[in-house]
Amino acid sequence: MIAIKNLTLEKGDFYLSGLSLEVAEGEIYFLLNRLDQDNDFLFRTLSGFQAAGSGEISYDGNRLLGAEHPQTAVFIDRVNDRADFDTEARLGQWFDFLCAQGLGRENIYKTLLVGNFHERQLKKMVRDLAPETFKLAYLAVCLAADSANVVINDFIKGAEKSFELKFNKLLLQKKAGGRSILFLGNDIFYASEIADRVGFIKNGRLMFEAAAADLKDMDIKDLYLKFLN
Amino acid sequence: MLAFLRFERRRLFGEKKNLIFLGFISLFSAYFVWSGLNEQRQFQAEKKIFINFEKEKFSQFVTYAQYGGFGFRLLYEASPLNLFFVNSSVLQDVESNIDGLETIKVESSFKGNKLFLKRGYFKDFAGIPFIFGSLFMLYLGHLALVSPAYLRFMTGRMALKKYYALTTAARLFWLDLFFVSLGLGLFFLVQLGGVAFSGSEKKIFLSYLLFLVLLLNFFYLLGQLTSVLVRFRKVFFLWFFIIWFICIFLLPESNRISVFNKSRVLESAEKVNLEKFRTLMALEKKFRDYLKVNPAAPLDQIRQMQKKFAVQFINNSFLLNTGLETKYLRDVEKVIASHERQSVLFPTTFYHFLSGEASGKGYYGYLDFMDYIIGLRNRFMQFYLKNRYEGNEATVESFVKNDENIFRSRSRLPKTFWFGLLVTVFYGAVFLVLAYWLLRRQVFQP
Repeated sequence: MIAIKNLTLEKGDFYLSGLSLEVAEGEIYFLLNRLDQDNDFLFRTLSGFQAAGSGEISYDGNRLLGAEHPQTAVFIDRVNDRADFDTEARLGQWFDFLCAQGLGRENIYKTLLVGNFHERQLKKMVRDLAPETFKLAYLAVCLAADSANVVINDFIKGAEKSFELKFNKLLLQKKAGGRSILFLGNDIFYASEIADRVGFIKNGRLMFEAAAADLKDMDIKDLYLKFLN
Repeated sequence: MLAFLRFERRRLFGEKKNLIFLGFISLFSAYFVWSGLNEQRQFQAEKKIFINFEKEKFSQFVTYAQYGGFGFRLLYEASPLNLFFVNSSVLQDVESNIDGLETIKVESSFKGNKLFLKRGYFKDFAGIPFIFGSLFMLYLGHLALVSPAYLRFMTGRMALKKYYALTTAARLFWLDLFFVSLGLGLFFLVQLGGVAFSGSEKKIFLSYLLFLVLLLNFFYLLGQLTSVLVRFRKVFFLWFFIIWFICIFLLPESNRISVFNKSRVLESAEKVNLEKFRTLMALEKKFRDYLKVNPAAPLDQIRQMQKKFAVQFINNSFLLNTGLETKYLRDVEKVIASHERQSVLFPTTFYHFLSGEASGKGYYGYLDFMDYIIGLRNRFMQFYLKNRYEGNEATVESFVKNDENIFRSRSRLPKTFWFGLLVTVFYGAVFLVLAYWLLRRQVFQP
């Protein structure tokens, strides 16, 4: 379970005041925030790379302490630039290295199979992979840890629909497996499609929270204009 | 650690551009070693001609007066290790003439094919890894940590400290292995080519190689640090070039200018020669005055006086002049010692100093050569004056026994070698720790 209590953050133009929420096991919570950089900042805080001002973040009851990356959750960041991951090694070699660090090869391949990954991609350098293939490989490594908690930062932004569908399939598999999933993003339509609950942040506060099923009865355009514009 | 070694080996040697660059370094190093070996062989052939020429020249002398006037030449033979440092040495091909004249000359000839020998800066084995190796290591240091996003991703799999330390160690292991293998491989190939190295020369080469590897590690860690300092931005390449240029060209050049400025406190060599000349001429004047006072002196008496003046010359003027020369040399030595102390403070400046000394044609090689000349000249003057004024003029005996007219300079390590090594390690350690500290602040923001 992911629990955030009274989280307050402030840096530059970004501030967040008194955010509290809980993501239960087998639930996808979509936290909508207008700006990408605000999501990035919050994601960095949740993943322990950015110190929180005050408040508490915990994963399965384990409190996140200062500048420390929690091992009780999986973090999937928005990765748009393959150059950021260009290790100058082939993908297969990168997988070998990560597996030697304790990642289950079987888990990696499970995710890859869902994405119709072809073996010949393993011989390619990261920079030579198609963007979707790279995203899939990244996702496979992230999900290989198989943690009970998953935090995602707008991962499907800019991805093709086919990739989004594969990703949704994987996400729903994780949900069915009882994982707590917190998704940060700004796509209200996607949120209503994939999430169980949706929260809207505006002016640094959690303004509105609703079950995704209820969103379908609401005027999404109106919600968008009200909270995300 | 094994997984890191395997992965970094693939990262380094699986990338085409790295392989091309490594191939280029190997090829050019081998080419310049081969070229150094050819020069070494050429020198040995010319040495034989030199010895024969000197023997032939001596056989033409009929009187000791001629022998004293023309004297004999002294050839500077560098250690065989010089073939790795042909353009990194301080001295080029030099020789001196030992004769009855007062001036000590150390000359370099540009006659014939020697005109085409000088190839300029860095074109030898020591220069290739220094210029291109340092550039390559700086670049690989920059690539090592990939990006902050990648580091955050990896931190989810292992501690940042562990990833940073093991990645650095693994990459340095492979790169060091490459440069050590290259150096040792070429060293063995040269031996197969017929060059024999003494035990001490082997030790010196290994020590040089150790320093070279540490110097390259210094550049790798500097590349890593610079990358972190500019927060992995693309403008890094500009910084990267500026830093490389400062380390490789600017600092050694400022060090050279600094030693030149220091050397200005030395009296001009011409001034020393003039002073010696004056001492000699004062004695000559005395002899001329004697002849003026006694114009009708018989030949026997003149010869007796000549002998008396010669003895006086050896006991006074010559000793005085030798003293002047020795004092001058010790003053030069002080400048060299100060240059060595200054060079040791930065790895690239010390590398220049070390290469010069390891070649056997460095500053201390020069001092040894000058000491040898002064000693030999001292003995030659005594031999010459004794035989000219006391001996039998009918046959002229050669002063040069065996191969005394060949000065064999030895390769050596500077006295400050271990200190220079420690300074380089210290710089590397500071860069390693500083880069980690800054990296941690970038990955985990307060």
